[in-house]
Amino acid sequence: MKCKWNSFRQPAVFFIVLILFPFISLTAGVLVAPTSVILSENDRTGRLTVQNPSDSPIEVSIRFGFGIPLSDSLGNVTLRLQDTSEVNHPRSAMNWIRAFPRRVVLAPGATQVVRFVANPPKDIPDGEYWARIVVRSQDSQAQLPDAGNMESITTRLNMVMETAIVLKYRTGELMAKLGVIDTEIERSDSLVAISIDMENQGNVSYVGVLRCNLYDANDVEITTRRINIAVYDDIKRRVDLPVGISDYRQPFHVDIVIENDGRNDVPANELISGNRLEYTLTVP
Amino acid sequence: MQVYSRMKKVSLVAVTMIVLAMLVGATTVSAQDVAVGQATATVLAVLTVTAPQDLAFGNILQGVPTTIARTVAASAGIFQIAGEGAANQEVSMHMQLPDYLWNAAAGVQDRLVIAFSTTDATVDTTAGTPDVPGAGAVVGTDPHNLADIGMGGAANVIRIYLGGTVSPTPDQRAGSYSADIILTAAYTGD
Repeated sequence: MKCKWNSFRQPAVFFIVLILFPFISLTAGVLVAPTSVILSENDRTGRLTVQNPSDSPIEVSIRFGFGIPLSDSLGNVTLRLQDTSEVNHPRSAMNWIRAFPRRVVLAPGATQVVRFVANPPKDIPDGEYWARIVVRSQDSQAQLPDAGNMESITTRLNMVMETAIVLKYRTGELMAKLGVIDTEIERSDSLVAISIDMENQGNVSYVGVLRCNLYDANDVEITTRRINIAVYDDIKRRVDLPVGISDYRQPFHVDIVIENDGRNDVPANELISGNRLEYTLTVP
Repeated sequence: MQVYSRMKKVSLVAVTMIVLAMLVGATTVSAQDVAVGQATATVLAVLTVTAPQDLAFGNILQGVPTTIARTVAASAGIFQIAGEGAANQEVSMHMQLPDYLWNAAAGVQDRLVIAFSTTDATVDTTAGTPDVPGAGAVVGTDPHNLADIGMGGAANVIRIYLGGTVSPTPDQRAGSYSADIILTAAYTGD
């Protein structure tokens, strides 16, 4: 019954989004939804909708890359795409996913469904395999400016836009489990900075929410921060909590919660439920 | 089955009410509004990268470097990332910037140097403008190394304003030169 509800809910909400989007100011580019595509051994096909909300034709191309959120030593998170077939991550699916079509010119207001099919190798271990769907769009009618007389130099910089959407292929027994290796807290006059070292202990990406609530000694809430997270491998996550100007009583403490609940942007039938972590730290 | 039918009816009513509300004059409806109408609804995230304005140098002269500052409203390049249903999401952004513009006219192969300094970009999480970025904008950052950043405010928008410098040589061949500036955006939280 839940599956039926979900199967109805997704197209209905996507329909709403498509209706609402023309009310948002746009001049070029494409709309891509959903922002994650899930395939499995039971359903090896998936789809993505690309819409041109602008008033000019747009050339759209699809390719695959590999990229997962990674962090530096300070806890800043980035996602860098690798495009080559030499990606050797054991969870990479980019070499056995296909897209149809791979290139299309979208007329103004037109929508194109892009379909994906997975052909995984036999006997791959249980768990989740990842790739990034890179949707590239650019003006299909871009023309070089006319140099006019022979002495002029004119330029044109084509603004090319790429959206990297996650694709996941799931097989066998799935387990979402997150561990926290270490948490560091630093305090300055106006900021409490928290760095959380997280480790993916399951065989799927841990998709959830990280909440940090900063309180003073009287349990008065100073700041709260909530971030959507996706942990594929180990990652260090930095969260800055500003301390406003007020008569807060020290020592401060931080409540940290990491859980799956609260990801209202992910359909329930696509979310692999995992463990919940909750702990409190005193700010030095 | 009854529960499913009831939920379906409730949802259909909610969808109808929202569409009707728009038709009678609502000009802007946010994802949060949709969530209020359907308390249990999943607002599917949508990610859109657009380029409202090209980085435009106009006509340039041989031997005269031309700079467009990121603060020039009419000429700075503008990228915009919008995420419907993307509250609490952070976005990783990577910009591929050219070293040259090429003139590939028939019988001609020439290049024009272009450079981007470490302060040629502003990342604005409000709907500001190049000359007047919103509060909290990261002003004068390196376009080669953009930090991940959260979707800003109720609009869930990130705007990048980009400047740059072209340096034609004194004997630069006249003609039309072009290159690509590529912005790749992805949610870091799926």
